[in-house]
Amino acid sequence: MSESTTPAGLLIDRVSKDLAGRTIVDDMQLEVRAGELTCLLGPSGCGKTTTLRMVGGFLQPDAGAILIDGVDVSRLAPEKRPTAMVFQNYALWPHMSVFKNVSFGLRLRRLPRREIRDRVEQVLELVGLTHHMNSFPAQISGGEQQRVALARALVLEPKVLLLDEPLSNLDAKLRVRVREDIREIQQRVGITTVFVTHDQDEALSISDRIAVMSGGRVEQYADPTTLYREPATHFVASFVGAMNFYTGTVADGAVEIAGGVRVPCEGARRNGGAPVEIGVRPEDVMVSTAGDGAEAHVLREIPRGHYKELVMQLGEAEVRAFVGPEVSTSERQRVRFARAVVYAEGVLRPSTEPAPLR
Amino acid sequence: MVLPPVAVVAVFIGFPVGAAIAYTLGKTGGPNSTIALIAQRQHVAKHGVTFAAYREVLGNAHVRGDLWATVWVTLLTIAAVVVLSWAIGLYVRLSDTWIARTVSALSVIPLFIPVVIASYAILTFYAAQGFIKTLAYHVGWHSFPTLGYTMWAVVIGEVWVNVPFGVLMMSSGLNSVPNALIEAARDSGASLPQTIRAVLLPMNVIPTVIVATFTGIYVLGSFTVPYLTGPSAPNLMGVSMSQFFQSFNQPQQAEVMAMIVFVLAAGLGTIYVWANMRAAKRASQTS
Ligand SMILES: Nc1ncnc2c1ncn2[C@@H]1O[C@H](COP(=O)(O)OP(=O)(O)OP(=O)(O)O)[C@@H](O)[C@H]1O
Ligand SMILES: [Mg+2]
Repeated sequence: MSESTTPAGLLIDRVSKDLAGRTIVDDMQLEVRAGELTCLLGPSGCGKTTTLRMVGGFLQPDAGAILIDGVDVSRLAPEKRPTAMVFQNYALWPHMSVFKNVSFGLRLRRLPRREIRDRVEQVLELVGLTHHMNSFPAQISGGEQQRVALARALVLEPKVLLLDEPLSNLDAKLRVRVREDIREIQQRVGITTVFVTHDQDEALSISDRIAVMSGGRVEQYADPTTLYREPATHFVASFVGAMNFYTGTVADGAVEIAGGVRVPCEGARRNGGAPVEIGVRPEDVMVSTAGDGAEAHVLREIPRGHYKELVMQLGEAEVRAFVGPEVSTSERQRVRFARAVVYAEGVLRPSTEPAPLR
Repeated sequence: MVLPPVAVVAVFIGFPVGAAIAYTLGKTGGPNSTIALIAQRQHVAKHGVTFAAYREVLGNAHVRGDLWATVWVTLLTIAAVVVLSWAIGLYVRLSDTWIARTVSALSVIPLFIPVVIASYAILTFYAAQGFIKTLAYHVGWHSFPTLGYTMWAVVIGEVWVNVPFGVLMMSSGLNSVPNALIEAARDSGASLPQTIRAVLLPMNVIPTVIVATFTGIYVLGSFTVPYLTGPSAPNLMGVSMSQFFQSFNQPQQAEVMAMIVFVLAAGLGTIYVWANMRAAKRASQTS
């Protein structure tokens, strides 16, 4: 995958892990380039935390190796690894002030006092918390605790930063702000980062690349745009973003779904004619009151603020469409698909569009 | 609503304590008149109070020996119980093996064995013909000391009785420290001993103080263990107190000794209250 000869910032090389007799991480392969932010995205229980803990050294892989800058660290204890973890509940030590929390690792390294002070101040400035230096964790807000945890991880200048759902305890608004802060800081510092989340929105908005995991395996590893536009498997397509799914056949310029409904679809090219899974993003569903589209009945209209979601009956199936709030909707609509992805046996079939495929 | 409990405390604790204090100060009338009728070597205050009973008791070299024995047995037991319960608590907290679980289960067993039985068991175990001595003899250690009827047997007994509570207390304290706090320390580069020192120790000051003070108060007031396993003299204050009361028929002197023990226990109680207040203060300023 890497074109250059410089080693990856982090390489998870065919790692497996069994816990309590179950395979939790299954022959996982993942390469994170130096300075890159990779999200591990997947449903609960798919092995994200387990993977991260193996990178951090809290778990030993049963098979495979973990390499940082080309050096195998698989056998090193957590305190010997050039990694730093930000825990889900921040894990700040309640009996230590912010300064003490952040400086802990530096004090262990017996650095001169002056240097400790400087580095702590620097990193607290980076996360915007110099004024809370002498506060205790319980005296500051969740978002601030989060940034202290980040500062504590960054102050040691690790080679790899690991974050396990660092935002899940914050409210929705703060979550968006702090994730942008994290991304900004990560880019400024240029640190190789693995960010675990089960929130696709979070993953799509801050990652260089996203590894979608399912059942201990990586289903797809791609940049956010590719992942969204060309989900490699049915699982990825249904997990990332909303998607209408139909079983049907593909003809030239149209798809035919259950009940013999024929929906015009741009770029569709006949391919064998065997039944396949057809996925259409709601924003790729075009509605109009006239034209050659398939006929649909509006069942519900859900205002979403800056857009509207329409739920329509399309033959025997339902279709969801995102349309602008200005689109006037009558009960009868004509539906076309601007774009569809096709899966044969759960795997993307590169046939519906002439766009470059992997 | 608070009146009934206050009344109960006043009648059943406050009043007898008040009467006892008055008696030690030479007030032999009123509620103390019955005991004053049969007591020997009584110091009576004609006007006001007299400290003659205190002077007599503290002037008695045997009692001073008992007091000294009580202090060092208490301190030694506290130290041993704190160290043992920390060691067992830490071991169970940090290693999740069946051995660890067995150790923690075994360590609370003394809780379910009556102290009398345990004391006799300890006695026979360490006696001149006991198991330990026999074992030592067989491996060629003929000079192995006999611990039965010495203060060492008392210390062993007190530790045996107090370790279960200590382990329960320390385990629950240590278990309330989330794993992530320990892992975060390791992640920052701390070795296991450094993690214990920087995270587990400061986060378990209160359970430690509770174990230390409760153990101390228990030992100060204990009777069965020192009576059954200890030497005739000097022995713990609890034992000599009962001798003065029953054998010598000197209730005033016995009550003076009780007051002295009470002052020692109150000292430990103060430490406990102080530690709790400090924790409460910290909790209120950090939340
Ligand atoms: N120590 C353990 N012993 C046994 N099973 C475990 C252990 N740790 C995790 N598991 C199991 O491994 C699976 C994956 O756990 P993991 O924590 O990696 O999931 P995750 O992807 O992080 O999920 P979430 O999004 O809920 O945090 C779960 O089914 C979990 O029950
Ligand atoms: Mg997890």
